[in-house]
Amino acid sequence: MNERMTGQFIPGNSVLHRLDARAKLICFIVLIAVVILAHSVIGYALVLAFTAALIIISKLPLSTAIGSVKRMFWFFVLIFIMNALFFSSENAIWSWWIISLSKDGMVQGFNVVFRVIVILLMANVFTLVTPPLETTHAIQSLLKPLKLVGLPADEIAMIISVAIQFIPTLLQEADTVKKAQIARGARFESRKLHERAAAMLPLIVPIFLSAFKKADELAMAMEARGYRGEKYRTHRKNGAMALGSYFAIFICCVLCAAEIVL
Amino acid sequence: MQKMSNVKKSIITAVCIALCYVIPLMFHGIQNAGNIFCPMHIPVFICGLICGWQYGLLCGIAGPALSSALSGMPPVAILPSMMVELAAYGTAAGLMMKLVRTKSTYADLYISLIVAIVCGRVLAGLAKALIFARGSYSMSAWIAGSVVTSWPGTVIQLVFIPTIVFALMKSHLIPERYPKIED
Repeated sequence: MNERMTGQFIPGNSVLHRLDARAKLICFIVLIAVVILAHSVIGYALVLAFTAALIIISKLPLSTAIGSVKRMFWFFVLIFIMNALFFSSENAIWSWWIISLSKDGMVQGFNVVFRVIVILLMANVFTLVTPPLETTHAIQSLLKPLKLVGLPADEIAMIISVAIQFIPTLLQEADTVKKAQIARGARFESRKLHERAAAMLPLIVPIFLSAFKKADELAMAMEARGYRGEKYRTHRKNGAMALGSYFAIFICCVLCAAEIVL
Repeated sequence: MQKMSNVKKSIITAVCIALCYVIPLMFHGIQNAGNIFCPMHIPVFICGLICGWQYGLLCGIAGPALSSALSGMPPVAILPSMMVELAAYGTAAGLMMKLVRTKSTYADLYISLIVAIVCGRVLAGLAKALIFARGSYSMSAWIAGSVVTSWPGTVIQLVFIPTIVFALMKSHLIPERYPKIED
Protein backbone atom coordinates (compact mmCIF):
# COMPACT_ATOMS: atom_id res chain seq x y z
CA MET A 1 0.00 0.00 0.00
CA ASN A 2 3.01 2.25 0.15
CA GLU A 3 3.31 2.12 -3.62
CA ARG A 4 1.17 4.37 -5.80
CA MET A 5 -2.41 3.33 -5.23
CA THR A 6 -5.16 2.28 -7.60
CA GLY A 7 -7.38 5.18 -8.57
CA GLN A 8 -4.64 7.81 -8.32
CA PHE A 9 -4.19 9.95 -11.44
CA ILE A 10 -0.69 10.65 -12.79
CA PRO A 11 -0.55 13.81 -14.93
CA GLY A 12 1.07 13.34 -18.33
CA ASN A 13 0.94 14.26 -22.00
CA SER A 14 0.60 10.87 -23.71
CA VAL A 15 -2.04 10.06 -26.35
CA LEU A 16 -4.04 8.22 -23.68
CA HIS A 17 -3.87 11.20 -21.31
CA ARG A 18 -5.19 13.51 -24.05
CA LEU A 19 -7.97 11.16 -25.23
CA ASP A 20 -11.55 12.18 -24.32
CA ALA A 21 -12.54 10.53 -21.01
CA ARG A 22 -15.88 9.42 -22.54
CA ALA A 23 -13.99 7.58 -25.27
CA LYS A 24 -11.65 6.04 -22.70
CA LEU A 25 -14.59 4.79 -20.63
CA ILE A 26 -16.36 3.30 -23.68
CA CYS A 27 -13.07 1.69 -24.80
CA PHE A 28 -12.55 0.26 -21.30
CA ILE A 29 -16.02 -1.35 -21.31
CA VAL A 30 -15.46 -2.76 -24.83
CA LEU A 31 -12.03 -4.07 -23.80
CA ILE A 32 -13.53 -5.92 -20.80
CA ALA A 33 -15.84 -7.64 -23.32
CA VAL A 34 -12.77 -8.41 -25.48
CA VAL A 35 -11.02 -10.08 -22.53
CA ILE A 36 -14.11 -12.16 -21.71
CA LEU A 37 -14.52 -13.21 -25.35
CA ALA A 38 -10.87 -14.33 -25.73
CA HIS A 39 -10.66 -18.13 -25.68
CA SER A 40 -7.89 -19.18 -28.12
CA VAL A 41 -4.10 -18.83 -27.98
CA ILE A 42 -4.17 -16.20 -30.77
CA GLY A 43 -6.97 -14.38 -28.96
CA TYR A 44 -4.97 -14.29 -25.73
CA ALA A 45 -1.83 -13.14 -27.58
CA LEU A 46 -3.83 -10.34 -29.23
CA VAL A 47 -5.24 -9.16 -25.88
CA LEU A 48 -1.81 -9.29 -24.26
CA ALA A 49 -0.17 -7.37 -27.14
CA PHE A 50 -2.91 -4.72 -27.01
CA THR A 51 -2.53 -4.32 -23.24
CA ALA A 52 1.26 -3.99 -23.59
CA ALA A 53 0.73 -1.40 -26.34
CA LEU A 54 -1.62 0.57 -24.05
CA ILE A 55 1.00 0.63 -21.27
CA ILE A 56 3.69 1.79 -23.73
CA ILE A 57 1.46 4.46 -25.28
CA SER A 58 0.43 5.74 -21.83
CA LYS A 59 4.15 6.46 -21.05
CA LEU A 60 3.51 5.33 -17.46
CA PRO A 61 6.38 3.84 -15.45
CA LEU A 62 6.11 0.04 -15.82
CA SER A 63 6.29 -0.54 -12.07
CA THR A 64 3.28 1.79 -11.58
CA ALA A 65 1.25 0.26 -14.41
CA ILE A 66 1.71 -3.30 -13.16
CA GLY A 67 1.88 -2.42 -9.44
CA SER A 68 -1.56 -3.79 -8.54
CA VAL A 69 -0.81 -7.11 -10.30
CA LYS A 70 2.49 -7.45 -8.42
CA ARG A 71 0.73 -6.88 -5.10
CA MET A 72 -1.70 -9.71 -5.84
CA PHE A 73 0.86 -12.19 -7.24
CA TRP A 74 0.37 -14.86 -4.53
CA PHE A 75 -3.38 -14.52 -4.79
CA PHE A 76 -3.16 -15.37 -8.52
CA VAL A 77 -0.87 -18.32 -7.78
CA LEU A 78 -3.44 -19.59 -5.26
CA ILE A 79 -6.34 -19.22 -7.73
CA PHE A 80 -4.35 -21.16 -10.36
CA ILE A 81 -3.44 -23.97 -7.94
CA MET A 82 -7.03 -24.27 -6.64
CA ASN A 83 -8.35 -24.61 -10.20
CA ALA A 84 -5.60 -27.00 -11.27
CA LEU A 85 -6.17 -29.31 -8.28
CA PHE A 86 -9.94 -29.19 -7.78
CA PHE A 87 -11.55 -28.27 -11.14
CA SER A 88 -12.07 -31.75 -12.60
CA SER A 89 -11.39 -35.35 -11.58
CA GLU A 90 -11.73 -36.62 -15.17
CA ASN A 91 -8.50 -37.25 -17.14
CA ALA A 92 -6.47 -36.59 -14.01
CA ILE A 93 -2.69 -36.53 -14.44
CA TRP A 94 -2.22 -37.24 -10.74
CA SER A 95 -4.75 -37.74 -7.98
CA TRP A 96 -4.81 -38.31 -4.24
CA TRP A 97 -7.87 -38.26 -1.96
CA ILE A 98 -10.03 -35.31 -3.14
CA ILE A 99 -7.16 -33.67 -5.03
CA SER A 100 -6.79 -34.33 -8.78
CA LEU A 101 -4.35 -32.46 -10.94
CA SER A 102 -5.89 -32.26 -14.42
CA LYS A 103 -5.09 -30.58 -17.72
CA ASP A 104 -8.62 -29.11 -17.81
CA GLY A 105 -8.06 -27.64 -14.35
CA MET A 106 -4.75 -26.07 -15.36
CA VAL A 107 -6.35 -24.57 -18.49
CA GLN A 108 -9.26 -23.23 -16.41
CA GLY A 109 -6.84 -21.79 -13.83
CA PHE A 110 -4.85 -20.08 -16.57
CA ASN A 111 -8.04 -18.67 -18.15
CA VAL A 112 -9.26 -17.17 -14.86
CA VAL A 113 -5.89 -15.73 -13.83
CA PHE A 114 -5.13 -14.35 -17.29
CA ARG A 115 -8.49 -12.56 -17.56
CA VAL A 116 -8.30 -11.08 -14.07
CA ILE A 117 -4.71 -9.84 -14.63
CA VAL A 118 -5.51 -8.21 -17.98
CA ILE A 119 -8.69 -6.49 -16.69
CA LEU A 120 -6.73 -5.31 -13.66
CA LEU A 121 -3.98 -3.86 -15.88
CA MET A 122 -6.50 -2.08 -18.11
CA ALA A 123 -8.37 -0.65 -15.10
CA ASN A 124 -5.08 0.53 -13.65
CA VAL A 125 -4.06 2.27 -16.89
CA PHE A 126 -7.52 3.88 -17.18
CA THR A 127 -7.46 5.36 -13.67
CA LEU A 128 -3.81 6.45 -13.96
CA VAL A 129 -4.37 8.43 -17.18
CA THR A 130 -7.81 9.93 -16.45
CA PRO A 131 -8.35 12.81 -13.99
CA PRO A 132 -11.20 12.01 -11.53
CA LEU A 133 -13.25 15.04 -12.61
CA GLU A 134 -13.14 13.94 -16.25
CA THR A 135 -14.18 10.43 -15.17
CA THR A 136 -17.20 12.00 -13.43
CA HIS A 137 -18.20 13.89 -16.58
CA ALA A 138 -17.70 10.76 -18.67
CA ILE A 139 -19.89 8.68 -16.34
CA GLN A 140 -22.51 11.45 -16.38
CA SER A 141 -22.55 11.49 -20.18
CA LEU A 142 -22.85 7.72 -20.44
CA LEU A 143 -25.61 7.53 -17.80
CA LYS A 144 -27.72 10.24 -19.49
CA PRO A 145 -30.12 7.69 -21.07
CA LEU A 146 -31.16 6.65 -17.52
CA LYS A 147 -32.83 10.05 -17.15
CA LEU A 148 -35.42 8.91 -19.70
CA VAL A 149 -36.73 6.35 -17.18
CA GLY A 150 -36.66 8.84 -14.32
CA LEU A 151 -33.43 7.70 -12.64
CA PRO A 152 -31.18 10.43 -11.17
CA ALA A 153 -28.27 9.83 -13.56
CA ASP A 154 -26.30 12.92 -12.46
CA GLU A 155 -26.60 11.98 -8.79
CA ILE A 156 -25.44 8.41 -9.54
CA ALA A 157 -22.49 9.70 -11.57
CA MET A 158 -21.50 12.05 -8.73
CA ILE A 159 -21.66 9.21 -6.17
CA ILE A 160 -19.55 6.87 -8.35
CA SER A 161 -16.92 9.52 -9.05
CA VAL A 162 -16.68 10.46 -5.34
CA ALA A 163 -16.30 6.73 -4.58
CA ILE A 164 -13.39 6.45 -7.06
CA GLN A 165 -11.74 9.53 -5.55
CA PHE A 166 -12.12 8.11 -2.04
CA ILE A 167 -10.30 4.83 -2.85
CA PRO A 168 -6.67 6.09 -2.47
CA THR A 169 -7.59 7.95 0.74
CA LEU A 170 -9.27 4.90 2.25
CA LEU A 171 -6.40 2.59 1.22
CA GLN A 172 -4.01 4.97 2.96
CA GLU A 173 -6.27 5.02 6.01
CA ALA A 174 -6.47 1.21 6.06
CA ASP A 175 -2.68 1.06 5.87
CA THR A 176 -2.32 3.48 8.80
CA VAL A 177 -4.80 1.50 10.94
CA LYS A 178 -3.03 -1.74 9.99
CA LYS A 179 0.35 -0.35 11.06
CA ALA A 180 -1.15 0.82 14.35
CA GLN A 181 -2.50 -2.69 14.94
CA ILE A 182 0.90 -4.23 14.12
CA ALA A 183 2.44 -1.92 16.71
CA ARG A 184 -0.09 -3.31 19.20
CA GLY A 185 0.97 -6.88 18.36
CA ALA A 186 -1.48 -7.97 15.61
CA ARG A 187 -0.13 -10.92 13.60
CA PHE A 188 -0.91 -10.10 9.94
CA GLU A 189 2.08 -12.08 8.68
CA SER A 190 1.22 -15.23 10.66
CA ARG A 191 1.38 -18.48 8.70
CA LYS A 192 -1.88 -19.59 10.33
CA LEU A 193 -4.85 -18.43 8.27
CA HIS A 194 -7.24 -18.10 11.23
CA GLU A 195 -4.72 -15.83 13.02
CA ARG A 196 -4.38 -13.65 9.92
CA ALA A 197 -8.16 -13.47 9.54
CA ALA A 198 -8.62 -12.69 13.23
CA ALA A 199 -6.04 -9.90 12.95
CA MET A 200 -8.04 -8.31 10.12
CA LEU A 201 -11.28 -8.00 12.09
CA PRO A 202 -10.18 -5.24 14.53
CA LEU A 203 -9.37 -3.09 11.47
CA ILE A 204 -12.98 -2.93 10.31
CA VAL A 205 -14.53 -0.63 12.96
CA PRO A 206 -11.72 2.03 12.92
CA ILE A 207 -11.73 2.08 9.10
CA PHE A 208 -15.50 2.66 9.03
CA LEU A 209 -15.29 5.40 11.66
CA SER A 210 -12.47 7.15 9.82
CA ALA A 211 -14.22 6.80 6.44
CA PHE A 212 -17.48 8.21 7.81
CA LYS A 213 -15.59 11.10 9.43
CA LYS A 214 -14.15 11.96 6.02
CA ALA A 215 -17.61 11.62 4.44
CA ASP A 216 -19.07 13.93 7.10
CA GLU A 217 -16.38 16.56 6.46
CA LEU A 218 -16.85 16.40 2.69
CA ALA A 219 -20.65 16.59 2.92
CA MET A 220 -20.39 19.57 5.27
CA ALA A 221 -17.90 21.32 2.96
CA MET A 222 -20.16 20.73 -0.06
CA GLU A 223 -23.26 22.03 1.74
CA ALA A 224 -21.34 25.04 3.06
CA ARG A 225 -20.47 25.90 -0.54
CA GLY A 226 -24.14 25.78 -1.50
CA TYR A 227 -24.26 22.32 -3.10
CA ARG A 228 -27.84 21.04 -2.95
CA GLY A 229 -27.66 18.15 -5.40
CA GLU A 230 -26.91 17.74 -9.06
CA LYS A 231 -30.36 19.07 -10.03
CA TYR A 232 -29.38 22.62 -9.06
CA ARG A 233 -25.84 22.49 -10.40
CA THR A 234 -24.52 24.01 -13.60
CA HIS A 235 -22.00 22.15 -15.72
CA ARG A 236 -19.30 22.86 -18.20
CA LYS A 237 -20.76 21.90 -21.57
CA ASN A 238 -19.14 18.76 -22.92
CA GLY A 239 -18.32 19.29 -26.58
CA ALA A 240 -18.52 16.62 -29.25
CA MET A 241 -15.79 13.98 -29.18
CA ALA A 242 -12.83 14.52 -31.48
CA LEU A 243 -12.14 12.25 -34.46
CA GLY A 244 -9.29 10.56 -32.57
CA SER A 245 -11.74 9.46 -29.86
CA TYR A 246 -14.01 7.82 -32.42
CA PHE A 247 -10.94 6.15 -33.94
CA ALA A 248 -9.95 4.72 -30.54
CA ILE A 249 -13.47 3.32 -30.02
CA PHE A 250 -13.36 1.90 -33.58
CA ILE A 251 -10.05 0.09 -32.87
CA CYS A 252 -11.50 -1.46 -29.70
CA CYS A 253 -14.63 -2.56 -31.60
CA VAL A 254 -12.44 -4.12 -34.33
CA LEU A 255 -10.50 -5.98 -31.61
CA CYS A 256 -13.80 -7.18 -30.14
CA ALA A 257 -14.97 -8.41 -33.57
CA ALA A 258 -11.59 -10.15 -34.07
CA GLU A 259 -11.99 -11.98 -30.75
CA ILE A 260 -15.47 -13.17 -31.78
CA VAL A 261 -14.10 -14.51 -35.10
CA LEU A 262 -10.99 -16.09 -33.51
CA MET B 1 -35.14 11.67 14.57
CA GLN B 2 -32.93 14.21 12.85
CA LYS B 3 -32.87 13.69 9.12
CA MET B 4 -29.70 13.41 7.09
CA SER B 5 -29.47 15.62 4.03
CA ASN B 6 -29.46 14.00 0.61
CA VAL B 7 -25.93 15.34 0.03
CA LYS B 8 -24.66 13.54 3.14
CA LYS B 9 -26.50 10.34 2.16
CA SER B 10 -24.90 10.53 -1.30
CA ILE B 11 -21.40 10.98 0.14
CA ILE B 12 -21.89 8.14 2.66
CA THR B 13 -23.04 5.92 -0.22
CA ALA B 14 -19.91 6.89 -2.18
CA VAL B 15 -17.73 6.00 0.81
CA CYS B 16 -19.50 2.65 1.22
CA ILE B 17 -18.97 1.91 -2.51
CA ALA B 18 -15.26 2.70 -2.07
CA LEU B 19 -15.18 0.45 1.02
CA CYS B 20 -16.63 -2.38 -1.13
CA TYR B 21 -13.24 -2.26 -2.88
CA VAL B 22 -10.96 -1.46 0.08
CA ILE B 23 -12.20 -3.95 2.71
CA PRO B 24 -12.13 -7.09 0.49
CA LEU B 25 -8.63 -6.03 -0.68
CA MET B 26 -7.39 -6.45 2.91
CA PHE B 27 -8.68 -10.04 2.93
CA HIS B 28 -7.24 -11.01 -0.49
CA GLY B 29 -4.17 -12.68 1.04
CA ILE B 30 -6.38 -15.19 2.86
CA GLN B 31 -7.44 -18.32 1.01
CA ASN B 32 -11.11 -18.24 -0.13
CA ALA B 33 -11.70 -15.22 2.16
CA GLY B 34 -14.39 -13.71 -0.08
CA ASN B 35 -16.70 -16.72 0.30
CA ILE B 36 -15.97 -17.32 3.98
CA PHE B 37 -15.86 -13.81 5.48
CA CYS B 38 -18.02 -11.97 2.88
CA PRO B 39 -16.19 -8.65 3.50
CA MET B 40 -17.99 -6.83 0.67
CA HIS B 41 -21.39 -7.38 2.31
CA ILE B 42 -20.57 -5.17 5.32
CA PRO B 43 -20.48 -1.71 3.59
CA VAL B 44 -23.64 -2.56 1.60
CA PHE B 45 -25.63 -3.47 4.74
CA ILE B 46 -24.37 -0.36 6.50
CA CYS B 47 -25.28 1.86 3.56
CA GLY B 48 -28.81 0.39 3.40
CA LEU B 49 -29.32 0.65 7.17
CA ILE B 50 -28.10 4.25 7.41
CA CYS B 51 -29.10 5.90 4.13
CA GLY B 52 -32.21 4.00 3.04
CA TRP B 53 -33.16 1.46 0.42
CA GLN B 54 -32.45 3.56 -2.69
CA TYR B 55 -28.87 4.23 -1.60
CA GLY B 56 -28.43 0.62 -0.41
CA LEU B 57 -29.59 -0.60 -3.81
CA LEU B 58 -27.09 1.66 -5.59
CA CYS B 59 -24.27 0.57 -3.26
CA GLY B 60 -25.18 -3.10 -3.85
CA ILE B 61 -24.96 -2.66 -7.60
CA ALA B 62 -22.07 -0.20 -7.95
CA GLY B 63 -19.85 -1.63 -5.16
CA PRO B 64 -19.13 -5.05 -6.68
CA ALA B 65 -19.06 -3.57 -10.22
CA LEU B 66 -16.40 -1.01 -9.24
CA SER B 67 -14.37 -3.59 -7.33
CA SER B 68 -14.55 -5.99 -10.27
CA ALA B 69 -13.42 -3.28 -12.70
CA LEU B 70 -10.53 -2.12 -10.51
CA SER B 71 -9.27 -5.35 -8.96
CA GLY B 72 -10.84 -8.14 -11.02
CA MET B 73 -12.61 -9.40 -7.88
CA PRO B 74 -15.33 -10.62 -7.95
CA PRO B 75 -14.58 -12.21 -11.37
CA VAL B 76 -16.84 -11.07 -14.20
CA ALA B 77 -18.45 -14.53 -14.36
CA ILE B 78 -19.97 -14.28 -10.88
CA LEU B 79 -20.43 -10.50 -10.87
CA PRO B 80 -24.13 -10.44 -11.98
CA SER B 81 -25.29 -12.91 -9.31
CA MET B 82 -23.28 -11.06 -6.67
CA MET B 83 -24.80 -7.75 -7.75
CA VAL B 84 -28.29 -9.24 -7.34
CA GLU B 85 -27.39 -10.56 -3.87
CA LEU B 86 -25.82 -7.32 -2.64
CA ALA B 87 -28.57 -5.16 -4.16
CA ALA B 88 -31.10 -7.29 -2.24
CA TYR B 89 -29.12 -6.82 0.99
CA GLY B 90 -28.96 -3.04 0.61
CA THR B 91 -32.61 -2.69 -0.42
CA ALA B 92 -34.00 -5.04 2.26
CA ALA B 93 -31.88 -3.47 5.02
CA GLY B 94 -33.07 0.03 4.06
CA LEU B 95 -36.74 -0.98 3.79
CA MET B 96 -36.68 -2.84 7.11
CA MET B 97 -35.09 0.09 8.92
CA LYS B 98 -37.94 2.24 7.61
CA LEU B 99 -40.64 -0.24 8.65
CA VAL B 100 -39.33 -1.57 11.98
CA ARG B 101 -39.57 0.79 14.96
CA THR B 102 -39.29 -1.00 18.32
CA LYS B 103 -37.94 2.03 20.26
CA SER B 104 -34.64 0.16 20.67
CA THR B 105 -31.88 0.89 18.15
CA TYR B 106 -30.21 -2.50 18.64
CA ALA B 107 -33.50 -4.39 18.17
CA ASP B 108 -34.27 -2.41 14.98
CA LEU B 109 -30.77 -3.06 13.66
CA TYR B 110 -30.81 -6.79 14.39
CA ILE B 111 -34.32 -7.36 12.99
CA SER B 112 -33.49 -5.41 9.82
CA LEU B 113 -30.13 -7.13 9.44
CA ILE B 114 -31.43 -10.68 9.90
CA VAL B 115 -34.35 -10.13 7.49
CA ALA B 116 -31.95 -8.56 4.96
CA ILE B 117 -29.46 -11.45 5.27
CA VAL B 118 -32.24 -14.01 4.69
CA CYS B 119 -33.75 -12.01 1.78
CA GLY B 120 -30.37 -11.58 0.09
CA ARG B 121 -29.38 -15.24 0.42
CA VAL B 122 -32.79 -16.45 -0.84
CA LEU B 123 -32.85 -13.99 -3.76
CA ALA B 124 -29.26 -14.85 -4.74
CA GLY B 125 -30.17 -18.56 -4.69
CA LEU B 126 -33.27 -17.95 -6.81
CA ALA B 127 -31.32 -15.80 -9.26
CA LYS B 128 -28.67 -18.51 -9.66
CA ALA B 129 -31.23 -21.31 -9.98
CA LEU B 130 -33.46 -19.47 -12.46
CA ILE B 131 -31.06 -17.24 -14.44
CA PHE B 132 -27.30 -17.47 -13.91
CA ALA B 133 -26.75 -21.23 -13.39
CA ARG B 134 -30.00 -22.66 -14.69
CA GLY B 135 -30.08 -26.46 -14.45
CA SER B 136 -26.75 -26.78 -12.67
CA TYR B 137 -27.66 -25.20 -9.32
CA SER B 138 -29.19 -27.30 -6.56
CA MET B 139 -30.58 -26.80 -3.06
CA SER B 140 -27.48 -28.49 -1.60
CA ALA B 141 -25.20 -26.09 -3.53
CA TRP B 142 -27.21 -23.17 -2.13
CA ILE B 143 -26.97 -24.47 1.45
CA ALA B 144 -23.23 -25.15 1.02
CA GLY B 145 -22.51 -21.72 -0.47
CA SER B 146 -24.91 -19.48 1.44
CA VAL B 147 -25.05 -21.15 4.84
CA VAL B 148 -22.17 -23.56 5.48
CA THR B 149 -19.19 -21.84 3.79
CA SER B 150 -20.19 -18.31 4.75
CA TRP B 151 -21.18 -18.89 8.41
CA PRO B 152 -18.10 -17.01 9.71
CA GLY B 153 -19.12 -14.08 7.47
CA THR B 154 -22.67 -14.17 8.84
CA VAL B 155 -21.36 -14.13 12.43
CA ILE B 156 -19.04 -11.20 11.56
CA GLN B 157 -21.98 -9.33 10.02
CA LEU B 158 -24.20 -9.90 13.05
CA VAL B 159 -21.47 -8.81 15.47
CA PHE B 160 -19.85 -5.94 13.59
CA ILE B 161 -22.63 -4.17 11.68
CA PRO B 162 -24.79 -3.11 14.68
CA THR B 163 -21.55 -2.22 16.53
CA ILE B 164 -20.37 -0.01 13.66
CA VAL B 165 -23.77 1.72 13.27
CA PHE B 166 -23.95 2.30 17.03
CA ALA B 167 -20.38 3.64 17.13
CA LEU B 168 -21.22 6.03 14.27
CA MET B 169 -24.27 7.26 16.19
CA LYS B 170 -22.29 7.71 19.40
CA SER B 171 -19.60 9.70 17.58
CA HIS B 172 -22.35 11.90 16.04
CA LEU B 173 -21.31 11.04 12.48
CA ILE B 174 -24.89 9.93 11.80
CA PRO B 175 -28.04 11.05 13.67
CA GLU B 176 -29.33 8.97 16.60
CA ARG B 177 -32.34 6.83 15.67
CA TYR B 178 -34.13 7.61 18.96
CA PRO B 179 -32.58 10.80 20.31
CA LYS B 180 -32.91 11.38 24.06
CA ILE B 181 -35.25 14.28 24.84
CA GLU B 182 -33.57 16.61 27.30
CA ASP B 183 -35.65 18.46 29.86
